[in-house]
Amino acid sequence: MSSIEAVTVPKWGMTMTEGKITQWMVGEGGPVTRGQEILEIETTKVTNVVEAAATGTLRRIVLNEGTTAPVGALAGVIADEAATPEEIDAFIASYADRLGSGDEGEGGASVPRTITVDGGTVNVLEAGPESDETVVLLHGFGGDLSTWLFNQTALADKMRVVAVDLPGHGASSPIAGEDVFLKIVAAVEAAVDAVAPGKLHLVAHSFGGAVAAAIATNRPSRVGSLTLIAPIGLSRQMSRDFLVDFIAAERRRQLSSVLERLFADPSKITSDMVEGTLRFKRLEGVPEALSAIADTIADDSGQVQSIGGQLKDLPCPVTILWGDRDEIVPLPQSTEVPANARLRIIPDVGHMPQMEASSAVNDAILETFQRG
Amino acid sequence: MAQKSFRQALNEALHFEMGRDPRVIMMGEDLTGGAGANGVKDAWGGPFGVTRGLLDAFGPERIRDTPISEAAFIGAAAGAALTGLRPIAEIMFVDFAGVCLDQIMNQAAKFRYMFGGRAKTPLVIRATYGAGSRSGSQHTQALYPIFTHIPGLKVVIPSTPYDAKGLLLQAIRDDDPVIFLEHKMLYDTVGDVPDGAYTIPFGEARVARDGKDVLIIAIGRMVQVAEEAARKLASEGISAAIIDPRTTSPLDEDTLLDFTETIGRVVIVDEANPRCSVATDISALLADKCFDALKAPIKLVTAPHAPVPYAPNLEDAYIPSADAVVKAATSIVKR
Repeated sequence: MSSIEAVTVPKWGMTMTEGKITQWMVGEGGPVTRGQEILEIETTKVTNVVEAAATGTLRRIVLNEGTTAPVGALAGVIADEAATPEEIDAFIASYADRLGSGDEGEGGASVPRTITVDGGTVNVLEAGPESDETVVLLHGFGGDLSTWLFNQTALADKMRVVAVDLPGHGASSPIAGEDVFLKIVAAVEAAVDAVAPGKLHLVAHSFGGAVAAAIATNRPSRVGSLTLIAPIGLSRQMSRDFLVDFIAAERRRQLSSVLERLFADPSKITSDMVEGTLRFKRLEGVPEALSAIADTIADDSGQVQSIGGQLKDLPCPVTILWGDRDEIVPLPQSTEVPANARLRIIPDVGHMPQMEASSAVNDAILETFQRG
Repeated sequence: MAQKSFRQALNEALHFEMGRDPRVIMMGEDLTGGAGANGVKDAWGGPFGVTRGLLDAFGPERIRDTPISEAAFIGAAAGAALTGLRPIAEIMFVDFAGVCLDQIMNQAAKFRYMFGGRAKTPLVIRATYGAGSRSGSQHTQALYPIFTHIPGLKVVIPSTPYDAKGLLLQAIRDDDPVIFLEHKMLYDTVGDVPDGAYTIPFGEARVARDGKDVLIIAIGRMVQVAEEAARKLASEGISAAIIDPRTTSPLDEDTLLDFTETIGRVVIVDEANPRCSVATDISALLADKCFDALKAPIKLVTAPHAPVPYAPNLEDAYIPSADAVVKAATSIVKR
């Protein structure tokens, strides 16, 4: 029996509606293996690659280079040798009917909503079908929910996914003053309670990792799994310069050079990413909030938070992912990783594996909460 | 994030800053929106609905309607700024700036320089500009090149609701005279605008779109035209970057030069008349500083060197179109 698989224009981020085919990395008739990068697509926000979802032959290129097409459009067909040209033609013809059959809003874009909590508001972006279990995505210092551009939509194919702007970031209101860390944890817990009843699968990056560890410790019965990406709190080392320079950067060029340190490949930085970061940095109250958060992350002698003790007592599965070229929060010593956590190191990636190696991160997240 | 119109964004900025700083006052014609003949106050919210609610919130001591005498009230505003207030003066149509140019050009713009830096002039002059509203030749010009030419003035031309709010707050807090120009056809455009206060520094362009085949530099409302052109170009396989300078004085030369050096092909879109304009100024800058990076001549898409026509079909033809930008971009990408 023949196997025919579609290569489609993916949805990178909840606001993406179309993409431009900029390069096929495999020619028609060329062999492909599952996970191989086969297609480069440009959007108004990012340029990224599409990986093959199946092994076989790229039997047909449907969208040629230079073509702009909506999300979900059939870009090409991977099939085995048993598939006849007639079967592939029929597959392509059937695909035209599937486009636009989704139940998303106008243009396929979702919009965030604001949750009122003690001391302010928390901005959340929900995706995926209603379910008893929810994946909650928590970004790191200086990020926002768009950090999960390449993850939220992919995970939402499987279950409900809520991305959160931490207080002082994105469109959430700032929290500062004493006990800022505890206030942030409380605000996130309140927002999550409002939008995600049932079991939680926490996925958190960097500073968000400490927030997730605190939530998992506070509510062990509610948390089904924990996936931490380059979390703070396992070792003492980190680049405090990054925190200081990030807060000081008031203009685009300055900020762009700071954000480049997050990536092994600095070309991943887009103007949209820089502009989005500047937008929340310029809100009144945010610089003070960021300074207070930075002080809870690191001081002159290194990291302040410690989550190892919290993680080792958790009953749920814990996965820790790290890029081997992380210059912000360096990989901890093996003795600093709790015994109950599975550590996976991703090669050629900096502090943002969820953007630089999104497929590997998505696979690891799914694998972790299947253990939960 | 809340969706708000350009008009609402400006109104929020005025409300916020007048509430925060008691030194901020406003003056201009019909600011209180319909004051006069029938005695109704704030009937329209100002001639374009931007100042609605300010009279109720801050009272007639701080929101002053003036006679139709721009020379008088712009001069009064400049004097008030020198003495410690932070006035916002509204010229309904920028076309009438001519009658008070002595106060703007010969007085306010020069105070800091002539008094050896000891005098501050925190004056904002808001005015509408631009074609498309069927307002005739004397109410539709894009006169920002004139102000950009004058040392001592800062010139702000926002193109989005987000920028309108952040740049107006920055303008009110600035210690130098700022000419703040609002395109009449942008007032109803809608975009993300945070509820809270924020400022955008002057002299920092916005990269409205990343691209690699051609760079479109667009001023004010022409950013919308450039975006429409970029979408059309994308369907032809041409990737266009768009830069909105946001302020023409100071001008973010670094960003313009960086993108020109990387892309090498430039189209400048400007609604103003083409002679001695911002478009020609930027073109000269790029030709001077990065000529070797240019892969093709710089193309200018501007209004003709003519007054704005009143006949609707002629006025429409006067305004630079997306198709004209596409044509210019295509001609240098495919040459």
